[in-house]
This record gives sequence, C-alpha cells and structure tokens, in this order.
Amino acid sequence: MKPDTPKSAAGLAIGLGLLLLGGIIFYDASQMQIPPTYAKVGPQAFPYFIALGLAVVGAYFAWNSWTPAARREIAAEGFTTDWRALLIIGAGLLIHLNILKPLGFVIAGVFLFMCIAFAFGSRSFVRDGIVAVILVVLSYVGFTHGLGLQLPPGILAGLL
Amino acid sequence: MDVLASLLQGFATAVTPMNLMWCLLGTTLGTAIGILPGIGPALTIALLLPITAKLDPTGAFIMFAGLYYGAMYGSSTTSILLNTPGESGSIITAVEGNVMAKNGRGAAALATAAIGSFVAGTLGTIAITFLAPLFVKLALLFGPAEYFALMVLAFTTVSALLGLSLSRGITSLLLGLAIGLVGTDVLTGQPRLTFDILSLLRGIDIVVVAVGLFAVGEALYMASRPDMRAGEIVPIRGSIFMTAEEWRRSWKPWLRGTALGFPFGALPAGGTEIPTFLSYFLEKRMSKKPEEFGKGAIEGVAGPEAANNAAVAGVLVPLLTLGLPTSATAAILLAAFEQYNLKPGPLLFSSSSTLVWGLIASLYIGNVMLLILNLPLAGLWVRLLAIPQPLLYGGILLFSTLGVYSLNNSTFDLVLLFLVGILGFLMRRYDFPVAPCIIGLILGRLAEAQFRRALTISQGDATVFFTHPLSLALLIIAALVFVGPLFYRWRAAKLQSAKTAG
Repeated sequence: MKPDTPKSAAGLAIGLGLLLLGGIIFYDASQMQIPPTYAKVGPQAFPYFIALGLAVVGAYFAWNSWTPAARREIAAEGFTTDWRALLIIGAGLLIHLNILKPLGFVIAGVFLFMCIAFAFGSRSFVRDGIVAVILVVLSYVGFTHGLGLQLPPGILAGLL
Repeated sequence: MDVLASLLQGFATAVTPMNLMWCLLGTTLGTAIGILPGIGPALTIALLLPITAKLDPTGAFIMFAGLYYGAMYGSSTTSILLNTPGESGSIITAVEGNVMAKNGRGAAALATAAIGSFVAGTLGTIAITFLAPLFVKLALLFGPAEYFALMVLAFTTVSALLGLSLSRGITSLLLGLAIGLVGTDVLTGQPRLTFDILSLLRGIDIVVVAVGLFAVGEALYMASRPDMRAGEIVPIRGSIFMTAEEWRRSWKPWLRGTALGFPFGALPAGGTEIPTFLSYFLEKRMSKKPEEFGKGAIEGVAGPEAANNAAVAGVLVPLLTLGLPTSATAAILLAAFEQYNLKPGPLLFSSSSTLVWGLIASLYIGNVMLLILNLPLAGLWVRLLAIPQPLLYGGILLFSTLGVYSLNNSTFDLVLLFLVGILGFLMRRYDFPVAPCIIGLILGRLAEAQFRRALTISQGDATVFFTHPLSLALLIIAALVFVGPLFYRWRAAKLQSAKTAG
C-alpha cells in the first residue's frame, strides 16, 4: 500500500463520474415529450429514479474519498499498472473495428490476435502469427460455411 | 405422481442422440472454459447466443445447461492445481485444494471435488425436479405488483451480497439499470438516452455488455497487472481413488455443502461465493482436527465444492419458474430464452413442457457425463492450463469481437463493446462486482414493465405495492436485506466506541 494520501483521487473521480452520469440521465428524462395520457407512470419515472440513485452513490464516493484512509472505499493501489499494455490493447481494438469491413475478418482478426499477444508480453511473433492465422481462418470458414454467419470477406473475398 | 411422469417424458427428450450430443458438447466445453482462467460460463453462453439463434431451442438449452454445470466442475481443477480460481465459486477451494496438491495429494483433492460436485449436482437436480412445480403454483398467485416487489428483492440481495461492499454492489446495479434504459421505451415509443444516434434506438444488447465486462474488461485488467500473470501449475500426484479414510472424511461435508448451497441459489440470494465460504467455516468448526485447515484438509475442498454446485443448481429454480435471474450466468440464460421468444415463468412449464423437462432430465445425464469427464480425464484437461497467456487472451478477444459483430453485423456494436470494456476494466480495478450490473440490465426492463403495469391496473394508486400482502412481505424482506448490514455496522461501531469510552 502507498502511504496515506490526503484524499483518494480515484475515489473522487469515480464519485464525480457517477454524479455526471446521473445528471445526464436526469437531463435526458426531463427533455422527453410525453403525451398527457401517460402522465402518471410514463417513461420518465424510472430514469429519474436511476438518476437519483446514481447521484446518491456518486456523492457518497466523492465524500468518502476525503475521509481518513482506513475508512476509504477506494484505497490507493498497491500495485504497478502496465499502462503501455492497456494502450496497445485499446488501440488494437479501435484499429480492428475500423479495418474489419474494408480489409475483412481474416486480416483484422490476425492483427487483433497478434496485437493482444504482444500486449501480454509475447515476443514470439512467428508462433503467434501461425496460431493467429490457423485460428482465424478456421473460424472464418467454420462460421460462414458451417453456421451461416456473415463475416466481412474484405480484400480476400473469393479466396476463402 | 405428476412430477415423475413429466420427468420420464423429459428423459425421453433428453436421450435422443441429437440431444445427448448437445449435452456432451455443453459439458465438454463447460469443463474447458471452467478450467481456463479468464473465460467463464456467462461469457461463453453470451458468445454462443448469436451462433445458436437458428438452432432448436431444446438442444441449445441442453447445451447451455451442460456448459453451466461443467464450468463449475472445471473451475475446481484450476483452483487446486494453479491456486487461481477459474470461477468465483471456487475461490475457497483454492485455499485447501492447492495446499493438498503441493503436499502430493492433488489427485485426492480433484477426486473429492469432482465426486462432491456430482453428489451436490445430482441432489440439487432432484431438488429442482420437485421444487419447481411448487414454485410454479406459487408463481401463479403473482400479479404485476408481486413481480415488481420480487425484482426489488432480487436487486437488493444481489447488490448487498455480491462483492466487497453494499455501495459497490448498488453502484454496479445502477450502472446496469442505466445501460438498460438506452433505447426505445416499449410502451410509448419514446427514445431514451439515445443522443440521436440511430443505432442506439434498438438498445444495447446484453451480449455486448456481458462480453465487454467479462472479456474485454478482464483482458485489459490482466494486461495492466504484470504481477498477476505468472502462475505455477502443480502436477497431479497421488491416486485418484480416494482412500477409505478420505471417503469417510468427505461424505458428510458433501451433504452439508449441498444443504447450504441449494437454498442460497434457489432463494433470490444470488451468487455461489457466500455458501462456499459458509461451508468452509462450518466444516472447520465441525472438524475434530481444525488445526489441519490451512494445511490441506480434505473437508475444506469437499464441502465448498458441493455447496458451489448445489447453489448453481438452485439458481435454476427461480430462473425457470419465475423468470428471475440471480447470477450473471442466469441473466444470460434469461436473454437466451428471450432470443427464442420463450418467457420463463409458470407458463413455461405448460407451454414448453418438453423443453423444460428435457432440460431438467439432461441435468441428471450431464452430471454423470461430467463425473466421467473430470475424474479419469483430469490429467488431459490440465494440459489446457499450459496455453500461454498471450495466446489465451488473443483468442478470447478474437472470439469476443466475432460474437459481438455477428449479433447485428454492425461495427457500431464493436464501438460499444470497446466502451463497455473500459467500464469493465475500471470496475475490475476498483473491485466493483460485475454480476449486479448484468442482472440490473436485463431485470431493469422487466421490473419497469411490471411497475407500470401494476400502476396501470391500480389506476395510478401507488399503494398497490403495500396493500397486496405478498408484495408487502417481499418489499419488507428487501428493506431488511438493505438496512440489516448498515444497522449491524452501526451497532458494531457504537459498541466499539462505548468500549473505548468505558
């Protein structure tokens, strides 16, 4: 555990985030145009209730982040975080969903698999590549021909 | 005997070659995913939903049920040999089981876990067989007000009992309810939280949320924690045939574990963790040699494993008879019913009795298959643990994106998956339980519908929830579950301060 800090930044961020989410839901519900026949129990009642609930827990977490460390819900992390791995996976997922349709499932899938393996510390590119190609091609053929799913063929259309 | 006749009918459905094959496929796949860390039954069934949409529902459900039971068998193997529970219900198994494995009694630990799971699973299935018809009779008394009260009870129990703290559970539940709001309101056609994005009008699919929280969130979390990556597999040693001494020490914990686990699953109390912990401490207290606990006591594996499997069986009772999911996997199973336009509840037993009783009968068969799959073949399964983590998570994310994309053939769902994945990572990092979110997502819509239906029937009179005796009773229990822990903590704090003052 890290030494006692005056407040928990993560706890405060979580609290404020929940408050913000509650605010968005409240605003969205307040903008609804409801026909008067539904005035009694319309589609707004539940959103208002959820917004209120989120505001309460949000306020609680924000308040709690200032209490003495022992009573804090969100304590300082006692471990190191590999932010680089997170960024690689995040970027990999975003690139994957953008190349899925133009380049096709097979190329996008091999890219995603190798990207995740790299983020998890693998440097055996040949092994990862072979496994990725086998897995992706087998699932493409199996799911499209066997189970009738439609996966984007992309630039390899007609080959598989 | 009505029940026995229905059950026999069920067996007739379950033993057709096709359905036996589905059962074998489900139990095998379930054992595999139970053993693999990072992938569980909720995630797997969610990923199978788009693929199985065109299958015969009876076969699909027999496979799902086999998978659900199988995952619990498999996860004990990982707990014992790797000291990393495959599923949350096996956390406590790792405590004694891994010590036993290190002491060269791994085979005995695996055997008592597998046989205990079989005993509990079979007794649990017998309990389902006879309890379900009773629950159906009770459920027929329920109107919208009672259903709403029951769902409120489920909400409070899952948020209070799962995870570290009440505030975390409620936060997770509210997040699920909020995600459930997105889309078009069924009764009025009013778009909610769609921000004028066309693709959001149909709502956010539970598969996207489940896969995002379980697969993407988990992968991000594991990648961010290099310290959690390494794990040492203890090779299986010893004979899988338990000695007379081990049998003598195991059979009572099996039965006690079953008796503890089943009610926890069957009442909307949610989760398999609590009964497994309770069983562990019960066995420790009843043992003549409590000093052995922590050093590889076989009772500490036998009891919790039985409790785990009995709870898993119990969860099916409220799911099938009331349509009430009390675990993340049950919530996904409810989504599977919706996919086939089936509505779990009392009417399911009359309208789809072939499916329901075929499913229940297949649970008996599945348990036998699982005993055979897990006991003599444990050595084969262990090889799955040798898959390097980079390849395992690469494969999990590959199939996750494939499953989510094929829901609607839309890359927008992959954007949602990415965003839910970040949410899942944050929840995992700050110890928010994920199950209440999944349950809130699917149950929120149903609860709102019942709430509004009840108020429409009563013409807007909100006292309807308190004047119906059943509804009132359920709401009072819900309030107690909610206030009880707070009150307990307040009193403990008061006693503490009184002590320091005195």
